[in-house]
Amino acid sequence: MASVPSKLYSDDVSLVVVLVDTNPFFWATSSLSFSQFLSHVLAFLNSILLLNQLNQVVVIATGHNSCDYVYDSSSASHHGVENRTIPALYSVLLQKMEEFLIKDEKLGKQESPGMIASSLLSGSLSLALCYIQRLFRTGPLHPQPRILCLQGSSDGPEQYVAIMNSIFSAQRSMVPIDSCYVGAHNSAFLQQASYITGGVYVKPQHLDGLFQYLVTVFATDLHCRSSLQLPRPAGVDFRASCFCHKTTIDMGYVCSVCLSIFCKHHKKCSTCGSVFGQAQADNSAVSDRKRKAPET
Amino acid sequence: MPQVRIIAKNFMDMVASLPAMKLDRLYHNSFICEAILRSLPPLAKKYVLQMIYMEGPFPAKSLEEWVLADGFSKHKVAIDRLIQLRVFMETTERKKETSYRINPTFQSNLQKHLTSGGVLPREPMPSNITVRLPSLEELDAYALEQWECFLLQLINSSQAEKLTNFSSSMIRVFQRGLLSQRDNKDAPRLTESGFQFLLMDTNAQLWYIIREYISNSEERGVDPADLISFLLELSFHIMGEAYNMNTLNEIQRTAIKDLADLGLIKLQQGRKESWFIPTKLATNLSVSLTDSSTRKQGFVVVETNFRMYAYSTSKLHCEILRLFSRIEYQLPNLIVGAITKESLYTAFENGITAEQIIGFLQQNAHPRVAERIPSVPENVTDQIRLWESDLNRVEMTLAHLYDEFPSRDVFDAACDYAREWGGLLWEDSKKMRLVVKAEIHMQMREFLRGQKQ
Repeated sequence: MASVPSKLYSDDVSLVVVLVDTNPFFWATSSLSFSQFLSHVLAFLNSILLLNQLNQVVVIATGHNSCDYVYDSSSASHHGVENRTIPALYSVLLQKMEEFLIKDEKLGKQESPGMIASSLLSGSLSLALCYIQRLFRTGPLHPQPRILCLQGSSDGPEQYVAIMNSIFSAQRSMVPIDSCYVGAHNSAFLQQASYITGGVYVKPQHLDGLFQYLVTVFATDLHCRSSLQLPRPAGVDFRASCFCHKTTIDMGYVCSVCLSIFCKHHKKCSTCGSVFGQAQADNSAVSDRKRKAPET
Repeated sequence: MPQVRIIAKNFMDMVASLPAMKLDRLYHNSFICEAILRSLPPLAKKYVLQMIYMEGPFPAKSLEEWVLADGFSKHKVAIDRLIQLRVFMETTERKKETSYRINPTFQSNLQKHLTSGGVLPREPMPSNITVRLPSLEELDAYALEQWECFLLQLINSSQAEKLTNFSSSMIRVFQRGLLSQRDNKDAPRLTESGFQFLLMDTNAQLWYIIREYISNSEERGVDPADLISFLLELSFHIMGEAYNMNTLNEIQRTAIKDLADLGLIKLQQGRKESWFIPTKLATNLSVSLTDSSTRKQGFVVVETNFRMYAYSTSKLHCEILRLFSRIEYQLPNLIVGAITKESLYTAFENGITAEQIIGFLQQNAHPRVAERIPSVPENVTDQIRLWESDLNRVEMTLAHLYDEFPSRDVFDAACDYAREWGGLLWEDSKKMRLVVKAEIHMQMREFLRGQKQ
């Protein structure tokens, strides 16, 4: 990515890809209603667009079963909006959002109940990164991209590998992932995402003032970040999920070839196929070597 | 001769220099608030946004707490700018604590913008009335042609009388802008700053012209504030859309004719109504100068043998290149020239510096060579600089000569003293003579007087 910085604008032009969590399972339990949340977010999007003529905003909805682009300020035209009382951004975004929610709900009915009510963060992160990669490859100049995750629902451990891969590819292309977590507990995925990519993780204390949080912290463009003190992570939950049962674990077995993580001892690595030692009979000496941390 | 430098100052500097009352009146227009906000340094933008929903003053201390140590100078610049533009009002409380309060008109306008989204200053005309709107490419071509036509007039001022599609008022404005100075009876001739002007990029040139246009407005009986607000408003129109002339007031209607001459807008006449179409030049008005987004595609290739190929059909480009090179052939889409010692000497005589020429060549490098580093061969840039320094071999400094020192000690002390002040130009220890700069003559005299006693 050596050629990337030279193609940047000299100014503070930025592209913000906002991932909005639309998971109905979460919003049903949240103290902040989805419509209130959305009004904060819309004002925030407006303020990003206000800051610079060339700023660009892309909104991706993260549903329970799917994710999709909902709004793109570069392709949104001022034409063809019949109702002029509502600004183009709102009407386009709300309409697309509604269509998305209906589609997302339909997909959900085909599946069996009893799943963890997480949203498809890995999918929307990949969409965001794809969008940014496409931007890198087109045009003589492009704005500085960053991703903002507005997430409420809890982590889905089954997405661990996909999310970590997205995080690493964001790190490689130097795209910071900011995250604003509005749920009850901290999100380990988002903490790690922001920590690894150099973004900011914030869990607002007062959800009524969400707009102020968004504007004070997340409206800061990458130029300003070098001169401002932004919230630092208090502690990052680095726990991983095992590849076999997708549960979050503190200790586990790691494949010495491909670094896959397992919660139990296996004969063969399910990822790379390496055959592990035959030492599972006596669990004292040999298998300890494969453990991440000794058992206590 | 007084050195007149053209500084392509930002539009906003001009806005900031307006009296406070006028500035506050400008903020009643929400488009101006928006344009002002966009022109601010990034950090200042952030502060405004942060305080947009804050009632009452905000202590400066808590704003500073956010700033990292190396960002402090940027913070200072941002705050100064905000106060200069009267976006922030500084208030000092009893306890000597400074706090800032955001301009209420500005604040409420931006709040409105945030909640209701951007609105257009004018409704574009429905497409059934305006049948033959130009396409965006045509519009760009029109703007460029109009602008180059105008510049060509400046560069080829001997032909100026033949090109009459500019109002005489415009030309007067720019003559005073030191672009072409009339010597008593001679034909108008471009001055040194005129050449500098031509080597600037389009946006900078446009700023310069607009600035002259506005500062001259008072003489034409137009309030500069009105003009500024109209120009800023214009930059929020959508490029390529038609807007009805009836929506303009009298001042704006006269201004718009001048702007059409510059290529900022295109005027069209329908069967009943007439309308104006903003071009790229107009919509870029509120974009700050540092922005490179409007950079044009380059067209010049310079080879290591000092030959220059310019892929351009523009007569203006040819004239600009002629300023510092020898044009050899001119084909329909290609200009071939050579950078020679003679051509450069004429350029230097006209007051163009080597750095400007090199800067121009680098900025306008053809995309094929622009990727290369350096885009202009090093031996060419070095030679241009060398030829320039050839002209400046002798440097004149006012000086005083001291001789007949009573003793070697006094002479050495005098030499050391002059060296300390950085004023020693020449010394001859055998004959005990030295030459010092004129500035330190007085100190030197005092010093020698002290030595004598």
